Amino acid sequence: MWKKEDVKTQVVRENATGFSTGSPTSPSGPTRETSTGLPVSSKASASISQGIRIKGEITGSEDLFVDGHLEGKVNLSDGSFTVGPNGEVKADIFAREVIVRGRVDGKIVGREKIQLWSTGNVAGDLQTERLVIEDGAVLRGRVEIETGRPIDKRDEARGAAAGSSKGGVISVSSGSAAD
Amino acid sequence: MSFLNKLGIGVGAGASSSREVPRSMGSSGRTRSNGSAPVAAVGTSRSPELGESNRVSNGLKEFLWNLEGLGRGALLDLGPAWQTTLSFFIERGFRVSSEDLLRAWKEFLVDEEGKLREAAGRAAQHTLDVTPSARAARFLEANLQYPNSSFDAILLWDLLDYVEPMVAKQMVANLTELLRPGGVVFAMFHSKKPEGFQRYRVADSTTLQVITSPVLCPAQRVYQNREIQDLFGRYRTMKSFVGRDQLRESLFIK
Repeated sequence: MWKKEDVKTQVVRENATGFSTGSPTSPSGPTRETSTGLPVSSKASASISQGIRIKGEITGSEDLFVDGHLEGKVNLSDGSFTVGPNGEVKADIFAREVIVRGRVDGKIVGREKIQLWSTGNVAGDLQTERLVIEDGAVLRGRVEIETGRPIDKRDEARGAAAGSSKGGVISVSSGSAAD
Repeated sequence: MSFLNKLGIGVGAGASSSREVPRSMGSSGRTRSNGSAPVAAVGTSRSPELGESNRVSNGLKEFLWNLEGLGRGALLDLGPAWQTTLSFFIERGFRVSSEDLLRAWKEFLVDEEGKLREAAGRAAQHTLDVTPSARAARFLEANLQYPNSSFDAILLWDLLDYVEPMVAKQMVANLTELLRPGGVVFAMFHSKKPEGFQRYRVADSTTLQVITSPVLCPAQRVYQNREIQDLFGRYRTMKSFVGRDQLRESLFIK
């Protein structure tokens, strides 16, 4: 079973072959660039880059960025889990926040928030407090919002449907109105 | 709602304003971080090539009217996972499942083409059964896999215009099984072969946003009213609205 400490140990050893460690802070601001030019959260303390395959269970409480292949289970109780645009994850994911820019096949529980970017492709159920879906993202699964409501709330003409006529019995009918 | 609408003959759907999508919201120049993105901006961005217009939808209004008082109903959205559509229904207490079936159909076609090429290089006994019913069965084995009577409402959009007729027929049969008694299907049909390719999302209770998109699949056929009634023959009621843009919105109640 993968533990966070185990990952860190290997990160140091395998740095030249694809794992990379990142300083939790960047002098240039809250984001930094990986070797592939991808922005990574400043909190991301570990990353699994493209070309790396991992099978097993990852547990921990810090942030993780995956741009390679991961199969198994992910449990980052207090961390943010990001799937990069090249990332392919076949796993149930439990994390504080989950950001998907690649492919995920499995259930995602993002305690606080789930973000699907335009390149994101998820086959699995989503469970979170807040869900953000960018245009172009692909989702195949059920969405469960536990509390609160999803963001990006629009002003809507609430009650418009309620204000419509309810008196008519739905009839078997069709027709055209070439208005 | 007009008198004609009460009779099931809708008027005026499609009368709307249109506007071009701001091109400045494309992916280029995006600088947010992964972890602490200003999320309010997310979900409203567009690909630069997309165009968008609003369409008054009597069908949507009627669909919502039929779902009133349902409480925590279950809805299956067979279009793309748009933030606005999902939010709209989740905020109204629905448990929403999303499956972009047209994208799945496109992927299926690509996959089938690959299999055919493979089969061509093999012995005759390994050839792929390409009869319409076999293709439909293969497609539906991998899609729409939900327990029977799982949903109170289904957003089918204009999907049936784009899949092979046999797939459409079997798909409707499958959807009927997924729908609870009294459940509602909202579908759209083009009255003439569509020139472009559009996708739809819910803007508000009476308005759909029509998103012009790159062609995912060519339209397969234009269904006449009688054919639509035959497709949904197991449904208790049917109601249609045809707009000036020749797009027919239909509700089917099981």
